[in-house]
Amino acid sequence: MTAQHQSNPAMHSAPEHVALPAPTAWPAVLALGLTLMAAGLLSTNIVSVVGIALSLVAGVGWARQVLPHDRHEMVAVSAAPVQIATPHRKVTRMAAVQAAPHRARLPLEIYPISAGIKGGLAGGVAMAVLAMFYGIVSHGSIWYPINLLGAIVYEHIDVSTAQVEAFHIELLLVATVLHLATSVLVGLLYGAILPMLARRPILLGGVFAPLVWTGFLHSILDIVDPILNQRIDWWWFLASQIGFGIVAGLVVVRQVRIPTWQYPLAARAGVETPGMMDEENNHS
Amino acid sequence: MSAIPAAMAANEAPWKLPSRGRVGMLSLIIAESAIFTIFVAAYILYIGKSISGPTPRQILSVPIFITVCLLSSSLTMHWAVAALRKGKTGSFALFWFATLALGAIFLIGTGREWHHLISQEDFTIQTNLFGTTYYSLVGLHASHVLVGLIALAIVMILALLGKVKCEHWERCEVLSLYWHFVDAVWVVVFTVVYGLGR
Amino acid sequence: MAIPKSSRGVVSEWLFTADHKKIGLMYIVYSLLFLVIMGIEAILMRIQLAHPHASFMSPQAFNRLFTLHGTTGVFFVAMPILFGFGNYLVPLMIGARDMAFPRLNAFSFWMTAFGGFVLYASFFAGGSFLQGGSAPDVGWFAYAPLTSTTYSPGHSTDYWTLSILLAGVGSVGGAVNFIATILCMRCPGMTLGRMPLLAWMNLVMGGLVLVTISPLTAAQIMLMVDRYMSGHFFDTAAGGSVVMWMHFFWIFGHPEVYVLIIPCFAFVSEIVPVFSRKAMFGYPAMVAASVGIGFVSLGVWAHHMYTVGMPSYGNAFFVLTTMIVGVPTGIKIFNWLATMWGGKIRFATPMLFCTGFLFQFLIAGLTGIMLATAPFDWQLSNSYFVVAHFHYVIVGGILFTIFAAFYYWFPKMTGRMLNETLGKWHFWIMVIGFHLTFDFMHIPGLLGMPRRVYTYEPGRGWETWNLLSSIGVVFQAAAVLIFVYNMIQSYFKGAPAGNDPWDAWTLEWATTSPPPDYNFAAIPEVRSRRPLWDIKHPEDPDWKYE
Repeated sequence: MTAQHQSNPAMHSAPEHVALPAPTAWPAVLALGLTLMAAGLLSTNIVSVVGIALSLVAGVGWARQVLPHDRHEMVAVSAAPVQIATPHRKVTRMAAVQAAPHRARLPLEIYPISAGIKGGLAGGVAMAVLAMFYGIVSHGSIWYPINLLGAIVYEHIDVSTAQVEAFHIELLLVATVLHLATSVLVGLLYGAILPMLARRPILLGGVFAPLVWTGFLHSILDIVDPILNQRIDWWWFLASQIGFGIVAGLVVVRQVRIPTWQYPLAARAGVETPGMMDEENNHS
Repeated sequence: MSAIPAAMAANEAPWKLPSRGRVGMLSLIIAESAIFTIFVAAYILYIGKSISGPTPRQILSVPIFITVCLLSSSLTMHWAVAALRKGKTGSFALFWFATLALGAIFLIGTGREWHHLISQEDFTIQTNLFGTTYYSLVGLHASHVLVGLIALAIVMILALLGKVKCEHWERCEVLSLYWHFVDAVWVVVFTVVYGLGR
Repeated sequence: MAIPKSSRGVVSEWLFTADHKKIGLMYIVYSLLFLVIMGIEAILMRIQLAHPHASFMSPQAFNRLFTLHGTTGVFFVAMPILFGFGNYLVPLMIGARDMAFPRLNAFSFWMTAFGGFVLYASFFAGGSFLQGGSAPDVGWFAYAPLTSTTYSPGHSTDYWTLSILLAGVGSVGGAVNFIATILCMRCPGMTLGRMPLLAWMNLVMGGLVLVTISPLTAAQIMLMVDRYMSGHFFDTAAGGSVVMWMHFFWIFGHPEVYVLIIPCFAFVSEIVPVFSRKAMFGYPAMVAASVGIGFVSLGVWAHHMYTVGMPSYGNAFFVLTTMIVGVPTGIKIFNWLATMWGGKIRFATPMLFCTGFLFQFLIAGLTGIMLATAPFDWQLSNSYFVVAHFHYVIVGGILFTIFAAFYYWFPKMTGRMLNETLGKWHFWIMVIGFHLTFDFMHIPGLLGMPRRVYTYEPGRGWETWNLLSSIGVVFQAAAVLIFVYNMIQSYFKGAPAGNDPWDAWTLEWATTSPPPDYNFAAIPEVRSRRPLWDIKHPEDPDWKYE
């Protein structure tokens, strides 16, 4: 980093004198004249007359300054070259240290986005199977949980259990869309979070998170949607959540990991930073 | 290091910038246009809103002659600048004088119209809303013509003293931009006052 | 006609100068003077409003104070200070020796200056000085018919009109000069695509001044015709319309906000990259957003007039256009954030003020979107909520960035650094004062407190909030005092700045501090957006990637 002691090279050679516009009183006098013209409207006409006279004189004076040629004064140019220097330079470029990153950026590896999608879909299948199994065991109908899910989008009307057990095509479609979308989104979340969980990712992601989520839903659903709440068997709900978590987690961890960028954006962009140079002696 | 700028200069086109006089005048024209826009808008929105007479149809006559004079002065102005550019100072002075004369005829014509309205028709800026908008809009334009005529007269005097040379053609062209603008504004004012409003 | 430079007295050195740097400094000093005056006016008003039924001043004096506070703030503090910085910086940043029209530049300054003096001369004309003399009392937007000779006899309104007309001539002259300078005086290689954002935004500001100040000038001429020649423009008895004045005023008034804020965006766009050590993110988007704001802001004015009554499509149009202005503004905020993102941020005082600006301007923009919604505005128009909103813009946005600009460019202007410790005190006390005053000012507005009242009844829930607002003013005043002290102290005893104290990248740092009369011994030649980066990093210059 020797740049700070360099004179500016991108300059043409300097002349000895530079022509600059000479100081002139006429613009200020013209402004005063116009102001007095206006001030006459606030006081007496004599002020305006003075203002007009002053403006005329200033106008002529100004014209004589610029006609036929602008009046200039020659200013001597200082011969000393201008140093572009920062007295206490505190930064240097990170690019220089790219070979040996001074700190690892965690996580070192991540799953690709496709891993999350695959895990989510697999988990979704597992969850659906568990839920339909519950439907058969408790109500003898696989449509029961599907209708409950699909009915989220409808106005809350109290219906008989027989209606919930029957087959409804529109509820099936709504439930499928909802289930797939949620499964993929949660799967993506798992793919992103799992590498950050240092130990027992399956336990944390597959068991602990569904437990917390179920507890949360259990505590608020009575307020949000009491009719739906009456029809939910929370143990089965928890079981299907855990099923999703474990299956999704297992699928995700089987995918190939990709290494993360170890250089921060700043290093890749050639950004300067403090703390990488001997600031006391002002060089790196 | 100093070799780099030279190397670059070879790659890039020569450094050219617009003339400051022209840019400055165009900026001023934009500002003036905004002022005129507001006055014209007020005129249009107040057409037919006067509570008392007289109405435009009763007292305004269409000033065809002075309009022709002002518009043709744009043409003579153009010829004057073109002549100066070629170094023909003689025909420059002639055309410049023609512009000045045509502009002066316009201003005198407006003055006569006003004199007629005030002394014969007893129609002033205070008479009604139409009077207020009419005198303001036409007066604003006339004041711009007056400023233009003063500038033209100064150049005329310099030309008669033989001080206007070929190299001044760009300054004269900047002045001509202003004059063309004043003419263009008259087209709008004429259409609004004597066409739309009458 | 070459006259050699000789030693000159202070009068011809400063008052008659045609040098853009000296004129810039005169603008800045002039507007600092008026900043203090308008601050004192604000303090007096807040004393009056601290308690219900206060009798600190008469209603008449209060009317005069808020009129002068607003008019001074817009025309004689914010505009000239931004013109001053622009004057000083634009030629340096584009590698020119001066503005395009140096004498017009001096003329513009003096017109603005005399305009302010005319406005304040009203204090000394007629009536007692403490009651405000015959100072104007019609509010800063002076709605008709309050300004007619019937309701505003004497000359008080004429002082207002004439001072704005005079200053308007100066503003238009300055704008013409900015545009001509930026388009015609760039150094070799400084293409439009390489210009510093400050130059770009001053170009947009110049264009906006041309098309906004002129309508105001036109409206003021109409008002003069009404008052001096018994015209009928705003005379309803003769068929005139008072709503016409509102339209004309706000056609000026709303774009004026952008005339003020766009140069402030420019300061932020120069300071944030330097203190994040990253090139500006999204330069083309930034330019496009500035130009876009310029155009869209011309079509939003009637959102100040929802309560006047408009057809529903008029309401819908102005709601939509106003919301659309939020889009380019949002782009800018994201660009600044993206510049900071991943950068190595140094929180020196200029950067602190810019960071404060980002938060505060965002909130100001959000309350702006709230007020742009016609039904919401019907409820809150003319309340203290509006006052709080636009002070959030003007103090939290504009004043904060002006402070940032002072801390950033003071070293270039004087050759000495401003004291960083005092700067941090200044910043934090200012933040506390600002939020005390203006955060709590929203609440009485929501509770129905109208603006421009000289006092109010107790028992409406307004007392606490007004008292808190008034207390905040004490902090703000203290912060400004620290700032003034810092400037005086540092001017004489500050640490030497060197030519490039911030390790920056634009051309103004490529000359001495303060720069010589001729700016650059030789005209520089640039090849990228960051010419000083190229010089400091010959091994990896920017122009390789352009």
